[in-house]
Amino acid sequence: MSRRGRSRLKWLAVLIAVSSAGGGWALFGPSGMVQGQSQARTAADSVFTTSHRSTGEAIRHFFGMRNDPVQPIQFPHERHIAQEIACVVCHSGVEWSAVAGLPSVNTCMGCHVGIAEDKEPIIKITTEYYEKGRDLSWQRVYGWNDEAHVLFNHAPHIRSGVDCATCHGDLSKMTVAERAVDHTMGFCVDCHVEKKASIDCLTCHY
Amino acid sequence: MDRRFFFKVSVAGSATATLAGCGNPENQLIRFIPDEQLIPGLSVWKPSICPLCPAGCGLLARVVEGDAEVIRDGERGVVKMGLVKKLEGNPAHPINRGRLCARGQAAIQAVYHPDRIAHPLKRDGERGTGRFSEISWEQALAELTARLNALAAAKNPQALSFLTRPLPGQRQTLVTEFLRRFGAPPPIVFEVFGEGVLRRANELSFGYGQLPTVDFARSRYVIAFGADALGTWNSPVAQSIGYGEMRQGTPGQRGKFVHVEARLSQTGANADEWVPAKSGTEGLFALGMAHAIMKSQLRSPEAAGLAGALIEGWSEGLPRYTPAEVAAQTGVAAERIERLAREFAERWPAVAIVGGAVCAHTNGLFNALAVNALNALVGSVGEPGGIVFTPKLDFGLDFGAGREDAAGAVTQSIEQMAALVNASAPAPIQTLLLNDANPVFGAPPAWRVKEALLKIPHIVSFGNFLDETSILADLILPDHAFLETWMDNTPESGQTMAVAGLARPVVRPLYQTRAMPDILLEVARNLEQPLSPPLPWTNYEEMLKAAFDPLLEAAGANWEESLQLGGWATAIPSGTRGPVVEMKPMPWVEPQFEGGAKDFPFQFLPFKSQAFLDGSLAHLPWLQELPDPMTTAMWSSWVEINPKTAATLGIANGDLVEITSAHASLRTAAVLAPGIAPDVLAMPVGQGHETFTRYASGRGANPIAILAPMKESATGELAWAATRVRISRVSAAGQLTLFAGGMRERDPEHDHR
Repeated sequence: MSRRGRSRLKWLAVLIAVSSAGGGWALFGPSGMVQGQSQARTAADSVFTTSHRSTGEAIRHFFGMRNDPVQPIQFPHERHIAQEIACVVCHSGVEWSAVAGLPSVNTCMGCHVGIAEDKEPIIKITTEYYEKGRDLSWQRVYGWNDEAHVLFNHAPHIRSGVDCATCHGDLSKMTVAERAVDHTMGFCVDCHVEKKASIDCLTCHY
Repeated sequence: MDRRFFFKVSVAGSATATLAGCGNPENQLIRFIPDEQLIPGLSVWKPSICPLCPAGCGLLARVVEGDAEVIRDGERGVVKMGLVKKLEGNPAHPINRGRLCARGQAAIQAVYHPDRIAHPLKRDGERGTGRFSEISWEQALAELTARLNALAAAKNPQALSFLTRPLPGQRQTLVTEFLRRFGAPPPIVFEVFGEGVLRRANELSFGYGQLPTVDFARSRYVIAFGADALGTWNSPVAQSIGYGEMRQGTPGQRGKFVHVEARLSQTGANADEWVPAKSGTEGLFALGMAHAIMKSQLRSPEAAGLAGALIEGWSEGLPRYTPAEVAAQTGVAAERIERLAREFAERWPAVAIVGGAVCAHTNGLFNALAVNALNALVGSVGEPGGIVFTPKLDFGLDFGAGREDAAGAVTQSIEQMAALVNASAPAPIQTLLLNDANPVFGAPPAWRVKEALLKIPHIVSFGNFLDETSILADLILPDHAFLETWMDNTPESGQTMAVAGLARPVVRPLYQTRAMPDILLEVARNLEQPLSPPLPWTNYEEMLKAAFDPLLEAAGANWEESLQLGGWATAIPSGTRGPVVEMKPMPWVEPQFEGGAKDFPFQFLPFKSQAFLDGSLAHLPWLQELPDPMTTAMWSSWVEINPKTAATLGIANGDLVEITSAHASLRTAAVLAPGIAPDVLAMPVGQGHETFTRYASGRGANPIAILAPMKESATGELAWAATRVRISRVSAAGQLTLFAGGMRERDPEHDHR
């Protein structure tokens, strides 16, 4: 086991001790979603604050635990890729920006006015979102905790020809995107070494 | 065309298409990227105009694509749209030249405030209970139109009234024209700290009825009479930039700054000398200086021209205002007056500025005229390093026939309006349109504004937030936030050039709101009896274009370029002077106060809060959190009292005290402030809202609530510095929140060094 894993285990032991002393409710309390960049905040949360709404949320954040993303629709990546639609059609920021971006409902309707209009998910998008002027509240699948101090920028990776699948897995076999690749620092550094990209700390941590 | 091919082509071309920007129709057709042409994660800076005070500073708003949480048709959801993340000053704007004050920085919270009104509302409970239900825009506009139709049908269009805070730019023109063509009286403009006295004084002294632009940058000596020039008065950002240049802009030369006021304000704290003349006698102090200058023959009386002729005894060299005489009344030593006078005359270019409480005494106009005369005496009017009057732009709008009638129409004040409504039944005003003015909070209770509003059968509000006044409305038609709408402003002061700020909406509207000017234009179109003559524009954008195009064309500028810069400025010759008003020379009169000196031993000096101005910004949490520069107090209100006075009354820092005027009393925390005259209590305006969003409601106390309805004797403006009060200690629990521990770094009592 790696040193990091052992340290996690130590903390978990502390946590179990705390929770058996009566704090166990905190982990399982009615906390809603995990704070952090992987999850959208709930709509009810309208107060300007960066704090956590429950102890459980704070503890989960501390350990970097994240819920699995729940997407508004079961978006079939595999079907769109089978149609030879490039990733960048929907994730349009990827070539110029730090983030790839998640498509707005207008992006869907750009094609689906006329294509597969009779399919159930498309009907749902049209009636529940597009016609009501709402967007799909996609949840992020990948991301780092703030404490990791990683500032990742998509654009230079795409420009240097890194395939999307290298970091995001083979989406042509997934419906909704899943965390198929573990974005550890080792994963990043291996590739940087192989491609002779900089492995200076400040390349990613700044 | 085969759909799949279409994709491939568009993907290959998308890089260039996006960079090419909005001009590419194909790009808009496909809509692969969001509506606003934003690339996720990349920010775009767009110009806008700060709406918080009349200075009209230019903004740059950083816009990034994001998910906004919204309610659409009663359902919560997200919308992917451009969101503003940060406001900065616009470097291209000639007023603020890239700088922005703390209030301007916080303006973003007026857009993304959790308590913004998101859709039209109709009252369904008792008035003032805040019970409203959501209605559709069609219904809301139909109701407003029906009310106006009823007034027109009853041949009673003058029963329509429009109550507003000062309107920037062409909004003023639009509202005025709408009312005139409908047959209603001109809008009633309400602001707590109105500058009517100073405008009148400048009109009398110099022929320009507007606020002055102070050329700090080229001045070598500035003496400020009460004007909080670096904080809240006039055009604070422009003045602060100029002040910096005066102090540090010329190597080897550091302009001197003297501040005359009974309370050490933020501006006073920056001065080289603070002169605590008795509040209300500052005009006398200025005349004492003028006397000394003329006596020592540094200037002759004729130099002051018209401005001097307004002061009794000026041509004889003000024989009654000897420094000894003035010293006795102002409490400033005669030698100091003579020394300051000599410095002021010798260190030309020098300028005197006047504002704030000095103009808000019963003798406010005289005080302002005296300072104007002092300025004119040393020759600093219209000169570099003095005061100048920003030329006014003449917009070439075609108003049709009958504009001359409007000139004769009498503009009512809110006080007159309330008196009229309270005195007659049925109310002479049947429908009141309310635009973001809050007189229930900001007018002295003796004016009985709330009582009057309750008597008006229909009130329609355009405000974004529920405050003490708009909660009385029957119908709320929420306006866009300022970043969601067309903005324009032609600032009255702040630059020697004529400036027009102009900006298109920065982001799409977050909620189901509509722009107030567009509502007026739409309602005007749907009236049964059309306006005569009808307004020629279908929306506000069209009106702005009609207003600006001739000016821009004449100056060789164009619409699109001006919009990209966020406005436009031109060096046109100074505006035409108004006609000389015949007026008898005024003698000095002592300021009058309400409340006898025996029962009410203290002068009560409310002042514009650095964070909230007149209280209209108390709903912005960043500003609640902003420590006051002098006391470091935040999230609360307080009263400033001289430490020695406090000691005799047994009041300690942070104690809860009760302040009582002849009208009412309030409780707040005491701050022992070393920089205040012993017989003055000063309190910031802005807190003490009953209803103003979750951040301001029920917090602190409102000093206006104990003000006497005293008037400036010549102009009839509210003399808000003319109330006397008494103070007593209640308990130790003042609940004062100070960012620092106290006013001093060390307690001077325990300072052994």
